[in-house]
Amino acid sequence: MRQFAVIGLGKFGFAVVKTLAEKGCEVLAIDKDEEKVREASGFTTQVIQLDATDEDALKKVGAEDIDVAIVSVGENLEASILITLILKEIGVKEVISRALNPHHAKVLQKIGVDRVIFPEREMGIKVAESLVSPDILEQIRLSPNYEILEFTVPSSFTGRTLKELAIRTKYKVNVIAIRKKVPCINESGESDFKEEINLTPDGEDEISVGDVLVVVGDIKNIEALRKEK
Amino acid sequence: MNNNNYNHKELAQDLLELGKFYFLNEKYDEAIKVLQKAQKFNPFCADIYYHLGLVYEAKNNLHNAKVMYLKATEVDSQFTLAQEHLDKLVGK
Repeated sequence: MRQFAVIGLGKFGFAVVKTLAEKGCEVLAIDKDEEKVREASGFTTQVIQLDATDEDALKKVGAEDIDVAIVSVGENLEASILITLILKEIGVKEVISRALNPHHAKVLQKIGVDRVIFPEREMGIKVAESLVSPDILEQIRLSPNYEILEFTVPSSFTGRTLKELAIRTKYKVNVIAIRKKVPCINESGESDFKEEINLTPDGEDEISVGDVLVVVGDIKNIEALRKEK
Repeated sequence: MNNNNYNHKELAQDLLELGKFYFLNEKYDEAIKVLQKAQKFNPFCADIYYHLGLVYEAKNNLHNAKVMYLKATEVDSQFTLAQEHLDKLVGK
């Protein structure tokens, strides 16, 4: 199993630690702030309070055996750059660093970071896209021309089968899953619904109101399909 | 006057049951119609707002779903199921 380390337990770093731990990954959480370290100890057993700009301290806790390190030290550019450099030099296989601005990203790239992330920028783009196209629920770019997209079906699709809609022949797009909300009575006897995912949709599957289609294909073709009213 | 109020509540309850039936049978537009009518007869029933929220969420009309779940929790602050749906939609 890959060993992860998260250095800097601000909101972003904390969320990374929590998610990795919930997914059963081995994750070492590091911060110099005692309070943050204590908070993270509720989620992962491997929590260490240290100053990660101290190379010896990092070596003492076995940082060279880490497979993937995520550097998210907040507003301190100098610390972020120094920690990234130390991690690369001691042989961490993959170092992912959070950048605060394009200049910071450039420096990180020059010292050999494997991946730079801009959480605020990426979330900003996502929020803007969701405002412009509220029917799009998830979008994964596979390459500049291809993507996987989850979107709510247009009203004209409801009551029709995939065969009748002929999405593949008409739009050259593949439907890889259909997500449905199925009304039910829950364990407490209350009305509720459960989400069902059909991962092997076929031509006879009928589309209902509120269904979500997961499609893969050329971005332009998907856009044409989505614009169908 | 009291008798009138009682009748309104009963009528709202009957309409709520009909709304639940429509919801469970995925007849969402019909469910919305009767639940909106039920809400007029009893605007203080959190369950009606909760069911309207469910129907809107099932239709992926998330804005209206949020508004309805919020109303349900305003009417009944202990309505945990409505709160759970609201939290999920708001992204808590």
